[in-house]
Amino acid sequence: MIESLASLLMVLVVLALGPYVVAVMDRLVATAPRGALASDVWLGPLSRAAWLLTQHANATEAPDWQAWRLAPALYLALAAVGLALVPWSPTLIATDLVTSVVLWGSVEALATVVIFLHGWSANAVLPLIGAYRYVALGLSYILISMFVLIGAALPAESLQLTQVVASQESLWNVVRQPLGLPLFLVVGLGLTFWGPLNLADSTDLAGGTAAEVSGPSRLVWECARAVMLVAFSGIAATAFLGGWLGPWLPGPVWVLLKTLFVLALLLWLGQWLPRVAPERCVTLMWIVLLPLSFVDLVWAGVLALWA
Amino acid sequence: MEHSIFVDIAFLLLAVLAVVAGWRVFRTDSMVRASFFLLVSFIAVGAIMMLLAAEYLGVAMFFMMAVEMMVMALFMVMFMMNPAGLNPMMMVHQHRLSIIAGAVAFFILAAMALFSSFPADPLPAGLDPVRSLGHEMLGDSMLIFESAGIVLLATMIGVVVLSSHRGRYGAAEEGSVPPGLEPGGDPAGQPEKGESEGGHEHHHHHH
Amino acid sequence: MSLVTLLLLAAALIGIGLYGALSQQSFVMLMMGLELMLNGAMLAAVAFWAYSGAGAPQGQLLTIIVMAVMAIEMAMGFALVVAVFRGKQADTTEALSELKQ
Repeated sequence: MIESLASLLMVLVVLALGPYVVAVMDRLVATAPRGALASDVWLGPLSRAAWLLTQHANATEAPDWQAWRLAPALYLALAAVGLALVPWSPTLIATDLVTSVVLWGSVEALATVVIFLHGWSANAVLPLIGAYRYVALGLSYILISMFVLIGAALPAESLQLTQVVASQESLWNVVRQPLGLPLFLVVGLGLTFWGPLNLADSTDLAGGTAAEVSGPSRLVWECARAVMLVAFSGIAATAFLGGWLGPWLPGPVWVLLKTLFVLALLLWLGQWLPRVAPERCVTLMWIVLLPLSFVDLVWAGVLALWA
Repeated sequence: MEHSIFVDIAFLLLAVLAVVAGWRVFRTDSMVRASFFLLVSFIAVGAIMMLLAAEYLGVAMFFMMAVEMMVMALFMVMFMMNPAGLNPMMMVHQHRLSIIAGAVAFFILAAMALFSSFPADPLPAGLDPVRSLGHEMLGDSMLIFESAGIVLLATMIGVVVLSSHRGRYGAAEEGSVPPGLEPGGDPAGQPEKGESEGGHEHHHHHH
Repeated sequence: MSLVTLLLLAAALIGIGLYGALSQQSFVMLMMGLELMLNGAMLAAVAFWAYSGAGAPQGQLLTIIVMAVMAIEMAMGFALVVAVFRGKQADTTEALSELKQ
């Protein structure tokens, strides 16, 4: 009882702090390699949040108000579901479902619906184009993610994330299935449309699905994307980096460190990889990355038969 | 099966959600909203399945239906007038008959549920539903499961054949013309004669 | 939550779905009605599995098969709608009345 309360509290804390951590780390990653730290690294995110809160909320002509206001909150809720699936230790976990790997897959699938809804409900051209783009790309991310995650679940012989961690006692999945984590990171950038895969909310669409959103709901949308990135990092750390496993430190600290590592890696990739054109991105996903995920799955299957 | 009062409350709320969302599907002004209402109904049913300990099936409902309804919403916007729901929309025929048929179906099925007696044979203790489903699918019922896979493959091929641009007898949209602006008038939106052929510009619409 | 209440819910979903499938003019809305009926059928299958099937795995398998059938129904339905729309610019059932002859 105490542990489930503690894990729920942990989810809430990450929900509250996640966006700030992501914003600070993103600024650090962007400026630190150039040797010049921006002066507003620590206060910049807070002042932007305060500025957004005081902004007037934009209205378009005849939007679907309910869906438009609901979509950012739903995306945040999906991110919270993802956070609730991350096991902090063998017992400290908010929802220890026997099919938690599949539930994470559903979070990715439902995110497609929510992002489409966000762009569609504004009843404006550029958001709608962004929404369509995400659907076209999101279906390919979901497929890659599915195969890679089945690969991670194979050695555990279970769809439960705690079992997936337990199966990495001798060897982490990142070594056992070397293709898994790189492919999964691509899925993470796609799911949160971050960095090179920011095609739904990209600047060539003047902000894409969020082009017409301002004020508090813009803040919720940006926070939701950041929390989704954190939740994704937590799942990646669990499925490929051994979750709570590690010497000397207690389990939850290891999960935190690994999550922050994946997060920093994603933000670094987001800052330093070039952007891909949407058409090329679809080609890349279906012709290169999807066959690679098949290879990953076959690899995992052969290893599981051997062992 | 024994369960707590919270399960009953959750079931009641989810049941109301499933029925109301299912009813709203046919009462909303936008096709996109209609398909997402249907998705809500599916999600509520999936959650009820999870309450019934069918944990894999419930979660499978979530992701299967999320993708299916997403595709459905896209087709809605492509084919239907009034995708954004700016105008009232009520496209029905044989309305009274349909209402009667729906009500009759409900009452017959409800009467069957209420007045027939089913064996009370609940889940045995210690059953792992996900494991038992997996062993069934790749064990005794493997033929059924694999047949479903083959049928899905055949569907994919059939769908590509049906909807592909080029068939054995030429382009698929050859001879297809949009309706005229007035009844019996010239097709709308056609390029003037002598301009470049219109068929190929279709490829550029998808971006 | 009991077998009877679950079956009543399934009956309600099937009733609404039948109403939609019979009354809607546009193909896609008609398919939504069919899907709602299958939704009710899946719920009933799982309810029987949980309450009177003693956890026989075939009950769950049936639901998986229904899901596959839904995917097939939707894919074939949309492909046919695309083909019909290309040929006749029709997206409602009335527009296809000459199919009767």
